[in-house]
Amino acid sequence: MQKLMTGSLVVLALLAYALPSMAMDTAEMTKILQTIDDRQRSTGDYTARVYLEQKEKAKEDLVYESMIYRRDASDQFVLLFVKPKSEAGKGYLRLDKNLFLYDPTVGRWERRTERESIGGTNSRRSDFDESRLAQEFVPAYIGEETLGKFTVHHMKLTAKDDADVAYPVLELWVDKDTGNVLKQQDFALSGKLMRTSYFPKWEKVFSESKGSEVYFPKEIRIFDEIEKGTSTTIVFLSVDLSPLPANIFTKAWVESKSR
Amino acid sequence: MGIFITIAWRNLLAARRRSLFLTVAVAIVTAFLVLLNSLTAGVSSNLVSAATTLSAGHINVAGFHKTKPSDSSPIVTNAEPLRKILQEQTPGLDYVIDRHRGWAKVVGESASIQAGLYGIDAKQEGVLFKTLQLAKESEYKDGGRDQAFGDPTQLANKGTVMLFAGQAKRLGVQIGDVVTVRAESPGGRTNTIDLTVVAIMRDVGLLSSWSVFMPKKDLLTLYQLADTTTGSFLVYLKDIDKAQDTMGELRTILTKEGYTLMDYRPEPFFFKFEQVAGEDWTGQKLDLTTWKDEVSFLTWILTALNTVSFGLIGILFAIIAIGIANTMLISVRERTREIGTLRAIGMGRKQVLLMFMLEALILGAFATTVGALVGSLIAISLNAANIEVPIQAMRAILLSDVLRLKVEVGQTVLSVVVLTVFTGVSALWPSMRGARMQPVEALQAIE
Repeated sequence: MQKLMTGSLVVLALLAYALPSMAMDTAEMTKILQTIDDRQRSTGDYTARVYLEQKEKAKEDLVYESMIYRRDASDQFVLLFVKPKSEAGKGYLRLDKNLFLYDPTVGRWERRTERESIGGTNSRRSDFDESRLAQEFVPAYIGEETLGKFTVHHMKLTAKDDADVAYPVLELWVDKDTGNVLKQQDFALSGKLMRTSYFPKWEKVFSESKGSEVYFPKEIRIFDEIEKGTSTTIVFLSVDLSPLPANIFTKAWVESKSR
Repeated sequence: MGIFITIAWRNLLAARRRSLFLTVAVAIVTAFLVLLNSLTAGVSSNLVSAATTLSAGHINVAGFHKTKPSDSSPIVTNAEPLRKILQEQTPGLDYVIDRHRGWAKVVGESASIQAGLYGIDAKQEGVLFKTLQLAKESEYKDGGRDQAFGDPTQLANKGTVMLFAGQAKRLGVQIGDVVTVRAESPGGRTNTIDLTVVAIMRDVGLLSSWSVFMPKKDLLTLYQLADTTTGSFLVYLKDIDKAQDTMGELRTILTKEGYTLMDYRPEPFFFKFEQVAGEDWTGQKLDLTTWKDEVSFLTWILTALNTVSFGLIGILFAIIAIGIANTMLISVRERTREIGTLRAIGMGRKQVLLMFMLEALILGAFATTVGALVGSLIAISLNAANIEVPIQAMRAILLSDVLRLKVEVGQTVLSVVVLTVFTGVSALWPSMRGARMQPVEALQAIE
């Protein structure tokens, strides 16, 4: 009996020690999300050259190179395909809350949803845009885990009602030491796992307008969990935070790139 | 007149070999024309059947609902009062059913397809189940049995789906397998549903390549819609030819009942998303179309078939016209002395002209009638043989997996008349040459 009591006390003592490190309140989690968002936010302009590759079972690989132009302060966004030649000039432009796609082969603009997949790949506009996790999701803590050699915070994020997001539920694995997102899983409304993304490497560049560094994932690997064998790789070849001309975020500018 | 017909007939018999060659040539062209016409009529019939079975009623009462100006949800809210109006006030009504509609990715064992979803109430779909046929397993599975499996009436159960053979083959699924349907809810959130394949039907052309049928309740769950909504009311009339007029009457009736209607655009609903999303209004507007409007993107098939037929027949007509003119010219030359004699004993120029024209017309009438009969017989036999179209692209164009030829009596009679007149017209110039001959010159001609 005495042994049992001693054992119980030991377990309770261990739990008392472990719980504070395992649990995390909403404020702390929101802070982690805000840090992730803030570190990726560029107060000035943002230009990135991106390599995009999609592998699909029994289909030819899709390979693109595109330029991303962002002005986060005014929510402006342009994604312009530059390679291959057959896709060059095709571009997405966000105007206010609307996303438009320009196809130079037909010379027409088409309205698309904000959740549009990019160039028929499994990537979406949000993969290239500024991070808004704290603004769009409510976090819940799942636990502290080990992901490979990293110790991570595992969180479940549920989209707020007014958030314009493709996946209503995310699970996020955030490196406890660096605060970088290492893994993300996206779930459908039905609860089905749709895709798993890995962020193996993060890099940073100094932003003069922000006065600090802007983080970006050097590479994102996205695995389709519904269509097994389909994966997308996004590589950020370069990121530049120099100011952009004002006319970039216009239909006329996108159209001019294919003339 | 009788004497001219007798002379013409005897002349045709006198030049038996020449007449026979011409008859065969004209008959072949006529048979070919009848076959092409029956093919076009068959495709046209397939189009009506496929359209009004798979994707549209004779009249469609659908619409768009917008909670914010940039929306364009193809749904009708508060559907039941509208159904009541349609059932009670549609002139010449046969019956009304309703289906929900969507666009989604269907993911199978080996691949995925983009498909138009139809959320149906199995109780309302007797005609659909009766019209479509279950596909044999060998049609969608390599090494499959020549036996059909599945039961479309199981769509009454939740979590089920009905595919077509071409889709099942691409997806790599068979009866009892599960496919995942992935769609975006009106709020833009991704949603999925797993459905078990309970029926795989024979293909019916292009329309069946992207049509997937599932229970309405599952579609409502997938799109997070209230069960008071619907996608479209499919109104079937006793006479399909009255669809356009009845739609006009329904527009008046629905306006009087207080519904707001979209301007009439004779296009399928999925052509209208962008325009609706760009319009500055919110709430519900109804959109009325006929079955023709909903498949207007397929009319190119009929246009293409007609153009090809027209081109081919045009070339054959030209060859035949030259042949007839040449033969008649030879005939006139050979019978110069006969013409001279006839003219000398008092036959007028018009009568000579009539004599030769009658020869061509009698030959034309006989040959085209024979050709039309042979062509019709071939078309009816081919149709009865239920010949499977082996090439997928051809199936898509012919809107059927079997060759369908439809002989239309009116069209066939018209072909006979047109070709007979054409044969007569082709003989006009040589006949005029014969008629213009002077009796003295004609009598002096050496045979």
